Amino acid sequence: MAPKKVEPKKPEPKKPEPKKEEAPAPAPVPETPKEPELDLKSVPLEFTADQIEEFRDAFTLFDETPTGEMKIRYAQCGDVMRALGHNPTNADVLTVLGKPKAEDMNTKYLDFEKFLPMLQHVSRTKDQGTFEDFAEGLRVFDKEGNGTVMGAELRHVLATLGEKMTEDEVDRLMAGQEDANGCINYTSFIKHILSG
Amino acid sequence: MVIYWCEILNHFFFLNRQDLAAVLIQRWYRQYAARMEMRRRYTWNIFQSMEYADLQDQIKLYNFLGYLMDNFTPSSSERNLISHIFRENEVCRDAEWERYFSYTNIDVPDIYSGPRLTFPLDMDQAADLVEAFKNKQQLHSRYVLQLLLETWKLLRVLPNINRVSTCHSKEITICGDLHGQLEDLLLIFYKNGMPSLEKPYVFNGDYVDRGKDSMEILLILFAFLLVFPGNVYLNRGNHEDHIINLRYGFTKEVLNKYKLHGKRILKLLQKIFSWLPLVTVIDQRVLIVHGGISDTTDLALIARYVSSLRPPKKKTPSRTNVYADSERYVEMVICKNRRGSLTFPKPFDARESFQRRSLQDFSSTVARTLEEEFEVRRRQAEFSLSSFSKSHRILSSALSSDSEPESSEFTDTGNDEWKQILDLLWSDPMSHNGCIPNEVRGGGCYWGPDVTEDFLNRHSLQLIIRSHECKQDGYEFCHNRKVLTLFSASNYYEVGSNRGAFIRLGPDLVPYFVQYQATRMTRGLSFPQNVKRTEHTALKILREQLFVHKSDLLSAFQEIDKENMGLICLNDWASAIERVLHLDLPWRVLHPQLVSSTTDGKLDYHGWFRDLALKKPSSEHIEQTMLETLYRHRSTLETIFRIVDTNNSGLITFEDFRQTLKLLSAYLKMEISDEVINELVISTDTNNDGSIDIDEFMEAFRLVDKSRLKRGKSLLKLMQDNQSLPQETETPQTVYSTAPQTSQCPASQPADPPASNTTDSACSQTANPPASQTADSPGSLTEDCPASQTEDLCHISVVVPPQ
Repeated sequence: MAPKKVEPKKPEPKKPEPKKEEAPAPAPVPETPKEPELDLKSVPLEFTADQIEEFRDAFTLFDETPTGEMKIRYAQCGDVMRALGHNPTNADVLTVLGKPKAEDMNTKYLDFEKFLPMLQHVSRTKDQGTFEDFAEGLRVFDKEGNGTVMGAELRHVLATLGEKMTEDEVDRLMAGQEDANGCINYTSFIKHILSG
Repeated sequence: MVIYWCEILNHFFFLNRQDLAAVLIQRWYRQYAARMEMRRRYTWNIFQSMEYADLQDQIKLYNFLGYLMDNFTPSSSERNLISHIFRENEVCRDAEWERYFSYTNIDVPDIYSGPRLTFPLDMDQAADLVEAFKNKQQLHSRYVLQLLLETWKLLRVLPNINRVSTCHSKEITICGDLHGQLEDLLLIFYKNGMPSLEKPYVFNGDYVDRGKDSMEILLILFAFLLVFPGNVYLNRGNHEDHIINLRYGFTKEVLNKYKLHGKRILKLLQKIFSWLPLVTVIDQRVLIVHGGISDTTDLALIARYVSSLRPPKKKTPSRTNVYADSERYVEMVICKNRRGSLTFPKPFDARESFQRRSLQDFSSTVARTLEEEFEVRRRQAEFSLSSFSKSHRILSSALSSDSEPESSEFTDTGNDEWKQILDLLWSDPMSHNGCIPNEVRGGGCYWGPDVTEDFLNRHSLQLIIRSHECKQDGYEFCHNRKVLTLFSASNYYEVGSNRGAFIRLGPDLVPYFVQYQATRMTRGLSFPQNVKRTEHTALKILREQLFVHKSDLLSAFQEIDKENMGLICLNDWASAIERVLHLDLPWRVLHPQLVSSTTDGKLDYHGWFRDLALKKPSSEHIEQTMLETLYRHRSTLETIFRIVDTNNSGLITFEDFRQTLKLLSAYLKMEISDEVINELVISTDTNNDGSIDIDEFMEAFRLVDKSRLKRGKSLLKLMQDNQSLPQETETPQTVYSTAPQTSQCPASQPADPPASNTTDSACSQTANPPASQTADSPGSLTEDCPASQTEDLCHISVVVPPQ
């Protein structure tokens, strides 16, 4: 599948089930079986020249090196991929980066040539998640089955489960979404996220 | 037992579901945040590159004028214009100037309800002044002149370097650029208290230009300076310069607010600016200066500087550097004085030789030299100070391979002091070592961390606080936290674009930051909403730029599209735009916002231009490309006008107008025929008295949105029907708008009252739906149109085309 351009994400047919069932009980610690596959050198680039130029532009936007060396920190890699329309989990990003150590994330750099195959790999993941998946995810927290979730509970979950978010991130996400009772109507919430 | 295990499994299973759900939401959030971040970054880039592009224009203009200075003939008719431009006012002693600025004859009518000042000022009066301005009152010109005169007298005895101490446990408040944004100053006073004996303040320059209340800010600052001369410290910024003010709006503001006495007020301000201190030092440890330093900055020299100094001679035309002070030169014989404008070419009297050629002949020479020079500058100007730019490499490699002398043109000791000041007021920090001329701004230099280190050691300082550059969060450290940039004008590019900040510094000399954003509107907005608003404006500006370069872009496209299919692929589209606009922006990332649709990855560029615009061109008399050019260079045109208008009357004669356009045509290397000039003159001489109001003329160069135009048209029709207003006259229809005879808005007011409310809400719908892909329109938030400080881009004027 050709990777997307910078546009609001369009839903895409996928199969989330296999991945979800694979995951063992507690936390998502998958990836170990996948490692042998991840030989980035062998990933053929299916992007067109136009697309590559576009990625290059985006990459440059995130280049913070003082002399414009076209490099980004490991910690930025996920952001750039997401800015380009993909949706990897943090774990996915760490995998393509080759499982770097925590201290490497801000000290090691990645140039554009190395970035491209990573992007290609990530773009292949069928499991991009649609509106339905997202709604499904939120429904889990809809105790009363009435289309709303409690803001406080969602905050708690997002900050403690899964790939934890910081308080700032949660605040940003939830800004203006809770009604007077502290409830969130998740259909509009989802639209808000998907349209951004 | 089984049930127990079932429950546990169930529990785990549930937790698992929750976990997975959480991951899903989290990854979606992260994607949303990343895209928002990207938009924020390119929006910032757009504003900064437009700002630098404008600076470039200014530099080119000065260089051109400087070239003319060196090279015109005494026999041509243009000579009169040039000498008229550069002729100095009569030289007077200070005492004579004081007579000129006398206010005692100015009567204040009883009906005047603003503050009536009595001197010496006291704290209550200063506070009243602030209150009055908050209530949108205007200080009467009599008091303005009086206050300014007192200020001038005080400044003449103040040293160049303010020395401040934090003893007595006083915290010193430091503010950066304000740029005429009164709201920000009021907010600072609200949060921090007004200046007083217990509350010393340092203001770091750039009080004027761009914002609409520059005058009020100056009056407030000067008032406090007079009341607390030992507790209020003002530094000079690069905008405290009458030539810069011609272009960036302060001159216009004063002339509009003070129609009768504006000229004298401006002249007095010119003097005051040249007497402002340059630098403030706190506890001999912290340096506060507007721009920065260079590797040759010498504080001892600056402290002594008050001499009569001959401006530096230009070495070669290709290293044109026209910063010299004409006033200085003439006055040097008579009395000691400070430097007036740092950015004005020498008077022609000072030139030793000139060639015997007419201005017309120069066109080709000028063209050639300028072209070469522009090429050099363009290459260098591709260097954007934004750390997200890819052109850093270009500049650094260009510099390392070039053997261009850096500051060797200033080796003459006589030039030292003058260069010192430029460096202090114009420089910017850069991330790599060294010190190179600041080609983007055209003055001062870029200085590196090694220069900072050296400077601090030499002068036993520990920190440099400077302003001069807009920062997203209001402040930013660099050079290993030894240099701090402080910017106090929030929402500088657009509502929501950035915060402002001020600092409090106690005896420990550790800065304590306070950030703010001055608009009521932004307080309710979340970060993403801010980003979207700002992005919206940035894209609008960008679309306008694309539109006014249509002719050049069309040629570029057609060069690529040799078969004339009308289609072009996106990559070519982006490269063509890069070539024509010279803006270092991520065009390929921006294309979804600028291009509504493509077929098979190809863009129908004719359709695209139609979508972009604005109004359909249809002038019989004036050619499309000409209008486009004039529009594109309208800032330059306006600046030239104001330079020509030496007595600051806001009017220029027919003849001057004609000469100005001829100058412009030489500068642009574009033939502006006499017919065109006549056409323009006739259409703008609304008084029919042989003089042209500059503001009215510039009014004609507003781009008007199609949809708003329709609205305006129907509104006007309504008004005409109801009130039998005059019908449109047959004026030549330009692309951009007709001359404003039929419009009811005088140039000085932001918008025509009856129409403005409705057009304000029209603001909130994007005018070009196909081209804009931002999901949200600002909705109920109106753009800050009349109050916007961007140069009239947000402005709506109700101008109607004939028929």
